[in-house]
Amino acid sequence: MRLLTHNMLSCNIKGVTNGFPLKLEADKWVTKEVDLNADFLRGIFPKIEWSALLAAARVLGFAELPEQADASMLSSDDFLRRFHHALLELHVEEGALVCPETGRKFPINKGIPNMLLHEDEV
Amino acid sequence: MSTLLHSYTPPSVSLRLRPRPSRCLRPLRFQVGRMGNSVVRAQAATEVTEAATSEGLKKGIAEFYDESSGVWESVWGDHMHHGFYEPDTAASLSDHRPAQIRMIEEALSFAGVSDDPMKKPKTIVDVGCGIGGSSRYLAKKYGAQCRGITLSPIQAQRAQELAAAEGLADKVSFQVADALQQPFPDGEFDLVWSMESGEHMPDKMKFVSELARVAAPGATIIIVTWCHRDLSPSEDSLKPDEIALLNKICDAYYLPAWCSASDYVNIAKSLSLENIKTADWSDNVAPFWPAVIRSAFTWQGFTSLLRSGWKTIRGALVMPLMIEGYKKNLIKFAVITCTKPN
Repeated sequence: MRLLTHNMLSCNIKGVTNGFPLKLEADKWVTKEVDLNADFLRGIFPKIEWSALLAAARVLGFAELPEQADASMLSSDDFLRRFHHALLELHVEEGALVCPETGRKFPINKGIPNMLLHEDEV
Repeated sequence: MSTLLHSYTPPSVSLRLRPRPSRCLRPLRFQVGRMGNSVVRAQAATEVTEAATSEGLKKGIAEFYDESSGVWESVWGDHMHHGFYEPDTAASLSDHRPAQIRMIEEALSFAGVSDDPMKKPKTIVDVGCGIGGSSRYLAKKYGAQCRGITLSPIQAQRAQELAAAEGLADKVSFQVADALQQPFPDGEFDLVWSMESGEHMPDKMKFVSELARVAAPGATIIIVTWCHRDLSPSEDSLKPDEIALLNKICDAYYLPAWCSASDYVNIAKSLSLENIKTADWSDNVAPFWPAVIRSAFTWQGFTSLLRSGWKTIRGALVMPLMIEGYKKNLIKFAVITCTKPN
């Protein structure tokens, strides 16, 4: 699971008002290099919840993102490289996504999050 | 290759599917006269009867596809949906994959999804994604990000492998999740895609509500699904023999109650979705089930079935009932599209 995907997942347990962002727990993660596409990064940037990306990247040991980001930074190659790395090159293989409100853990196995709710959570 | 000729006669297998209180139940009639009230009553009835079995249904669906996906893929490839054919044509085996691609293109065209770089979808959700055939196709076609959800962990894994093999791992990702509780925030996607997964949803209202919830303002929602025929104004339900036929199919394919295309249209209206359109494509999918049956009798198909499990075999044995349903104009292959208001 890349952090781009993490940035789009939320917890929809009944009664939860703020299920985003899910906290990331990572037991196993890898780096997979992929070509940087500046146009893509510029296009996706407005949709990214930056604080969620920042926190998740830190869990994976990548602390090189700025605390805050704005669109003007997209003209910097250095910023794009760090953004690209965090968003697309870090893959969580085993771990969990934790609901910020209930603490419920959604497991990540072989890189795939399991977001199924239990009967009493619906 | 197959020894069967085009005129297919069902095998005389005397398989009696045990009658039991089926998840399929009596097909529901959604009457949305005044907005919401009648639908809520119909839904309350659904909830009481379905609550006990919905966990079982989800588990059954996941297990069915965990078991069957490999067999399907080895014979048919990565698209787990009907092909779209010209009416009244006989199709040879090599026609089917292009027909499955055409089904995707016809659905996009029917919905009016634009190819224009400024207007084409940038984020797509594939609800009931199987092994990701549609996800990968749409991601490639539009250069978009696509998220697929399925109840089957094995399908999700396979979908991810295929994406990586095709160099699409940075564009598509797959999650194990429930279409009735999509794990996404509101308004996330420009295109909401459900290709032959609606028939598995026990609560059609919740299903369409979730599609609408995750759709961005102005987004397009496309549902391609199996339905039963529309009821005439004088009818309250399907005829007993029609219900009996659908029940048999439901058991084998882990399907809950069927509804009609009109029911979907009414649900979309009740959710204030716009530009609602529907079409009956039953004539365009007619060659499909006979072709699937023929493929089951090829050496590869047959041996794969034998190596699979009972669920897959039962699914295969019930295929002639699908043909019977289509011939009786009971089963319809429907496309329903609409847009989320801006």
